[in-house]
Amino acid sequence: MPLIETEMLTKRYGAKRGIEDVTVAVEAGEVFGFLGPNGAGKTTAIRTLLDLLHPTSGRARIFGLDSHRDSVRIRGRLGNLPGDFGYGRQSTGREALRLLARLRGVDGLGRGPELAKRFHADLDRPLGQLSRGNRQKIGLILATFHSPELLILDEPTSGLDPLMQEEFLTLVGEERRRGCTVLLSSHELDEVERVCDRVGIVRDGRLIAVERIHELLGRARRTATLELAEPSDLVGELRTLPGVTDLEAADGKVSFKVAGDLDPVLRAIAKRHVTDMELTHPTLEEVFLTYYGGGG
Amino acid sequence: MTAQLGELVLTHLSDRRRSLLAWGLPLGLWSAFIVMIFPSVEGALSKAVQNYPTGLKEAFGIGELTSVEQYLHAELLSLIVPLAIGYLAVRAVASGLTGAAESGRLDVLLSAPVSRPLLAAASFAATAVEVAIVLVMTVLLTGLGSLVAGAHLSLGSAIAGYANVLPLALIFAGLGIVATGFSLRTSVVTGSVAGVLVTMYVIDLIGRLDSDLSGIRYLSVFKYYGNAIEEGIDPVAFLGVTAVAVALAAIGAWLFDRRDLAA
Repeated sequence: MPLIETEMLTKRYGAKRGIEDVTVAVEAGEVFGFLGPNGAGKTTAIRTLLDLLHPTSGRARIFGLDSHRDSVRIRGRLGNLPGDFGYGRQSTGREALRLLARLRGVDGLGRGPELAKRFHADLDRPLGQLSRGNRQKIGLILATFHSPELLILDEPTSGLDPLMQEEFLTLVGEERRRGCTVLLSSHELDEVERVCDRVGIVRDGRLIAVERIHELLGRARRTATLELAEPSDLVGELRTLPGVTDLEAADGKVSFKVAGDLDPVLRAIAKRHVTDMELTHPTLEEVFLTYYGGGG
Repeated sequence: MTAQLGELVLTHLSDRRRSLLAWGLPLGLWSAFIVMIFPSVEGALSKAVQNYPTGLKEAFGIGELTSVEQYLHAELLSLIVPLAIGYLAVRAVASGLTGAAESGRLDVLLSAPVSRPLLAAASFAATAVEVAIVLVMTVLLTGLGSLVAGAHLSLGSAIAGYANVLPLALIFAGLGIVATGFSLRTSVVTGSVAGVLVTMYVIDLIGRLDSDLSGIRYLSVFKYYGNAIEEGIDPVAFLGVTAVAVALAAIGAWLFDRRDLAA
């Protein structure tokens, strides 16, 4: 049985779109990412799962329980980092942690102090005096201090510096190894690539695809740039290969985009003397182009 | 659930500890000042009141001002205290719900196994305790003032007078929770309920001034407020108004549970 299961989940705000017919299943122990641009509906989907928003139609189940009727029981087993985390300017992280620990029936502060040390988070300063990134660290600690079965993280690395982002991604890996299921939302392809097993691509409120991350990246167009030691007919050969587009050649440099299996391209390149080569990951926009055929 | 309620109430009170002082001290000092000056103005006041227009005396429930209790009622308990404490109650209940929504705290609390009706109940209960603490501070400072000035204020009467404000305040706390069913903006909730508070006071005033319009007083909770410092607490009114306040809070909690909490 999937740990999270939605069926035609729809949330509309009057005439405004929220999410539309979202059907997805997240398996236990999986790290699943909602990937999409800002305003796509990722946060609405998460808030509907958490019963903060009531669905217009459709249903959602978490741990096999109804997300609305059994919301309190469900929340007892999960940890959540809301998007744009806040708690009040005067309160400290320790006060927030103490209250949540008591509400959850956790002895002491759970893993809170250990996580604070790891993330260099100051639990004793009022949150209003912390930078956005430092507040986000407190939010992460509040979401994970009680070792939940399910972690729901809305844009978790928002505001974190690169070192802390790295630490966070490591933590997600550890949580997965512990058996925790993770549902996160992001608009950063690199981030979901690092930690997610599967991603659901959200666009205009709809879940347009659910893919394993390597399949998603393989299908999307990557940009290749080569520098050749001597003139060659590489361009002509590349033009004949499936998935190769946007070919440009000038002054011994060749650039092109390639989607799908890279093997034919690499075989063609291997026959030439290449002095430099760069293969860049697809951007989120390029992933979307793959699914929309340029429809934007 | 009781333990969770206790934790939430204690957290609310801890967060509002400055507010307790900010309301309790000035109100208590003002009340003490009124009591302390009474012995020196007593004679002049009686003469002045005799010359007050009858309508004014009826409107504000001013009879003879020959006792410190009557003076305290006329100066504070008939107008200033119920309006101020009613507004404090709205502010307090809103801080636990709309304030929490605006700061992001509501999302964090609702990540824990806590139901929304429990949050609303905690906010209502904490408001009741907060108002009670402010009233106790006021009574204590008033009693102290009476002792210092030799004003001979009956402490029992003062307690009755100030305790009688509590059910009234809870009505507006209950209305505050009802308002959160429609808006999660603190300014909207406090503004609208404060408007109801003033409107109810004016309705009661009009009803008292014009006997033909006395029926409209049933629209106002101030009809049941009375003059407890002189006449003692009317237990039926006290318990009845408290019960209505609890009912309003329950309706508000139901509305709050049904609404969306948008990001």
